[in-house]
Amino acid sequence: MQKNSLFSSRKRRERITDTLCFVVLVLFACGAMLPIWWIFRSSLMTNAELYAFPPAFFPSKWLFSNYVETLEAYPFGQYLLNTATIIVPSVFGGTVTAVLCGYAFARLRFRGKKFLFTLCVGSMLLPGMVTLIPLYLMWTRIFGLTDSYLPLILPYFCGGGAFNIFLIRQFISSIPRELDEAATIDGAGPMRVLWSILMPAIRAAVIVVALFLFIQMWNDLLQQTIYIDSPEKFTIAIGISMLKSGLKSDFAKIMAATCMAFVPGVVIYLCGQKYFVEGIVMTGMKN
Amino acid sequence: MRKTQRLSKVGRKEQRTAYLCLIPAFIGLIFLTYVPLIEVFVISFFNWRGPTTPTWAGIENYVRLFTTDPYFKVSIKVTVIYSLLSVIGGLIYSLIIALLLNRKVPARGFFRALFYLPYVLPAAAVYIGWSWLYEPNFGLFNYILKLCGVQENVLFLNDSKMVLPSLALVAVWLSGNLIVIFLAGLQNVPRVYHEAAEMDGANAWQRFRHVTIPSMTPIIFYNLLMSLITNMQVVTPSMALTQGGPNKQTMFITYLMYRYAFKSNQIGYACAISFVFFIIIAIFTGIVFSTSKTWVYYEGGED
Repeated sequence: MQKNSLFSSRKRRERITDTLCFVVLVLFACGAMLPIWWIFRSSLMTNAELYAFPPAFFPSKWLFSNYVETLEAYPFGQYLLNTATIIVPSVFGGTVTAVLCGYAFARLRFRGKKFLFTLCVGSMLLPGMVTLIPLYLMWTRIFGLTDSYLPLILPYFCGGGAFNIFLIRQFISSIPRELDEAATIDGAGPMRVLWSILMPAIRAAVIVVALFLFIQMWNDLLQQTIYIDSPEKFTIAIGISMLKSGLKSDFAKIMAATCMAFVPGVVIYLCGQKYFVEGIVMTGMKN
Repeated sequence: MRKTQRLSKVGRKEQRTAYLCLIPAFIGLIFLTYVPLIEVFVISFFNWRGPTTPTWAGIENYVRLFTTDPYFKVSIKVTVIYSLLSVIGGLIYSLIIALLLNRKVPARGFFRALFYLPYVLPAAAVYIGWSWLYEPNFGLFNYILKLCGVQENVLFLNDSKMVLPSLALVAVWLSGNLIVIFLAGLQNVPRVYHEAAEMDGANAWQRFRHVTIPSMTPIIFYNLLMSLITNMQVVTPSMALTQGGPNKQTMFITYLMYRYAFKSNQIGYACAISFVFFIIIAIFTGIVFSTSKTWVYYEGGED
């Protein structure tokens, strides 16, 4: 009897805590979304409304014409196409080579494995910015690739980064070996095992890696700036950073351009979101 | 040993496949990571301005860096301050959100996606967008401060005291990836630990302090290390927004290196900055690693 009431009081307390947590979570969520809303609402306003005080939370009229006018100073379609030209092959190359390398480390036996793995994971601690200048000299002076996308794309065909290799390795290691041993007995070679047995099982991890690579390139401004010179080759990131001087302080239009730049990332994230979270949870991030 | 001998034919084939799989990654590691690192070190001893042939300079670049350079010292200072603010802020924020998301809350997937969202926006656009929120007269933040009773307009990005905290706040907002990793870690804390602690009469705080936090230390360590290395390399806000100002307060090391190498063509000198930068990050990484022994608990560890 007593035990029962103790149990129910604890249960009630737990429910109160859960409710409280939910309220706090909603408050945080509103705080996190407020900047995005504010940028969006500003993109739909007239300049008079933008500089009113106190500022309105909603635009009085949704001026989508701002977007049309912004396209003159900010050719979003062109920039999007340019960005995709860099990102699509890079994500493909990075994912494929990360899977190959991660597979070798997870499953295959070869001499020097431990040393090579240390060399690979150790590079995670090397800040990429340190090697920026020699790489720039290599691509532009030795290979003559100025004003070209290749210096941005080619490195991704070389492993896709130690972190992604590590992630794939962890994932493959978590899959029971019996699965590929059975296939090996049936006469499948290592590549066959990877392609038809392991790939379906690590789909979530592959999508995570692809998304990480996408975000990494998507976020980059410095490398795109140093390798790309001509305006018709500009990417979304370069375009937006140039815009502020171009549009002076026409903030409604600058915000419209910002919103346009937000869209592709959001769309891609929402498409891959299900696998994405699953992928990270499954790696467990255990060392 | 015997096993490898017995499997030698299959084993050799396997080894060949392995090396083939590793080729792309190791071309990258060698030619895009380790060799350039050595090159940075070598070039830093040369006087090399743009198209001219490099001439040997000895330690001249380093001497100039530590004595007469008007930016370098402040650059280290602001980079370190910014990194500490964003790393600590980001870790606390993302741990709180992850703890909240780890409870039985409705629409958990929706909230998780929502907090992650800022991370998938292109950084350059994020800073441009936030610059409008930080606008001194009509920005959102000054409006909120007015509602809270602050009458003076805060200059945020134009105030040399406010610019680093303001940018760090954006970095905190962008730390959605830390949340997802923390959440994955929290879900791996064995339930039996909590149950055992509860049996022993531990209250919610004690369970958090003595069960959750210790089990989470490996992940906190990982997030701390990775977010430190990432934030030390900050450059996008300076490039998209502040151009190093106000009053050199956003002259982050990477941005300084970029300016010397690509704006004034001082390649040798910029490499000296790169190398010192490498050492600085190595020192910070070393500090994190050496203190980790005292606070990171590994399951099944000896002590």
